[in-house]
Amino acid sequence: MEVFIAQVINGLSLGSVYVLLVTGFNLLLLVALIIHFSYPQVVVLSMYISWTVMNLTGNNIILGILAGILSSIILNMAMAPIFQRVMRNRGQVDINSTLVISMAIGMIVTDILSHGFNRGFPISFSETLAGNQSSLTIGLINISQGQVYTLVVGIIGVSAFFWLLYKTRSGRAFRAIAEDPSGAKQVGIPLLRTGLASYALTGLLGGVTAVLLAVLLGSASPGLGEQVAHKVLAVSIIAGLGNLAGGLVVGLGLGIMEALIQGYVAGSWSNAIAFIILLVVMLIKPRGVFGMKL
Amino acid sequence: MEQSNTLLDVKKLEVSYGHVDALKGVDVTVNQGEIVVLIGANGAGKTTLLDTILGINTPRSGSIQYNGTDITGRSADINVREGLTIVPEGRGVFTSMTVTDNLLLGAHHNMHESSDKIERVYQWFPILKERSDQMAGTLSGGERQMLAIGRALMSAPRIILVDEPSIGLAPIIVNNIIEILVNLNKEGYTILLSEQNAYKALKIAHRGYVLETGQVVLSGTAEELLEDPAVKDAYLGA
Repeated sequence: MEVFIAQVINGLSLGSVYVLLVTGFNLLLLVALIIHFSYPQVVVLSMYISWTVMNLTGNNIILGILAGILSSIILNMAMAPIFQRVMRNRGQVDINSTLVISMAIGMIVTDILSHGFNRGFPISFSETLAGNQSSLTIGLINISQGQVYTLVVGIIGVSAFFWLLYKTRSGRAFRAIAEDPSGAKQVGIPLLRTGLASYALTGLLGGVTAVLLAVLLGSASPGLGEQVAHKVLAVSIIAGLGNLAGGLVVGLGLGIMEALIQGYVAGSWSNAIAFIILLVVMLIKPRGVFGMKL
Repeated sequence: MEQSNTLLDVKKLEVSYGHVDALKGVDVTVNQGEIVVLIGANGAGKTTLLDTILGINTPRSGSIQYNGTDITGRSADINVREGLTIVPEGRGVFTSMTVTDNLLLGAHHNMHESSDKIERVYQWFPILKERSDQMAGTLSGGERQMLAIGRALMSAPRIILVDEPSIGLAPIIVNNIIEILVNLNKEGYTILLSEQNAYKALKIAHRGYVLETGQVVLSGTAEELLEDPAVKDAYLGA
């Protein structure tokens, strides 16, 4: 039982990272109208930038966190014109060509991480940031500070996002575009400018996630982005593409499932088993568990 | 004299979708305070004309003047800001959003005093106040049409483009909607209306244009058109 509880808490903090990433991915899908499946790879690039800044400043955590968040926003905003140019040239939204751009960005990022930082070796974050010391021990249950931070920030981040989506003027425009882009245009919502706001917001979500990943994992490698990107894409499809609430449930579910498999099955089979389960779900529910929102 | 109160002036407008010419040189003017009706069958180009005026389509040639300014090719969000608005064909409300959210979308470019504007819309359409927290998808066809009109009013327009408001509505509801348009016009809103129900539309309009395959084939005052043998034959079912 204690192992179970410990692993569920473990899984919730991992899951909240998936939720943040899947939310960003879905937001770009719904509002910017692009498939940016290598978005998690860009998030990992922000982790590396954060690590570099901390190295240069003698492990200044505040600067490191700021660098992670700001770089993520800037990177996202910088990519927006590329996506938007392609969309405009096509006359209207063409989601397939955005997929190729995203793939290219992912490849470039992975190459930069393999050659540009730390000679391609995995990086590890300072102990103070990683928060490895346990903050709570009850019997066998051992919860690290990092897990608590991740969970708390994850909950705050997702709540703030949904508040923005349902209670603000921009959020209303986001939802209008998500339901009917051409209808939104007729009402007078500027599609490209509102789309740009969604890149910025996704950047913010990604920056927070980059910091949380650093806290939770304590390290990163060039391959991390790709691995996470696959999972985020899978979560989004399993939940139903563009389904924000569904992404929340399935993201947390995947985190808990992985943690439980790690807790009960010897060896590192968690990815294989998790993806086998996802495959089965996909066969039963081809449009996602909660239905597509596109 | 006539030039001074022209609100909308469309000249030789040509629009094409790929190889299909949807509009082949259309001239339409709308004066301040008028109801002008566009009559025509499906595919005559009525929706294309309204969408192009609003800034959804880019014309291949020709010009659109609004309030003395050339707005040809200007984007819809700027045009809405400047007082043009559309009540789209098929209502076009956002079904997964509440009635209030739908109305607020109309005021997206200027949220200033938006609660006053909503109150005014609720005075026009009390039923919408009762439904304010409901999803627009749960409304009836007539209620959706009212919501679409209310949303257009939220943008504080000078001219309202109304695209086929009667489509798919019961006759009694159609009369209701037509009456609303008349009252809006009395309040000072200029209206450019596209309608297949030619008789009802001409009854309330000042002037009208008949569109066929992307061209204006006939124009005149509403009375003239109501009496015109060709119009009677083709559109009034007389």
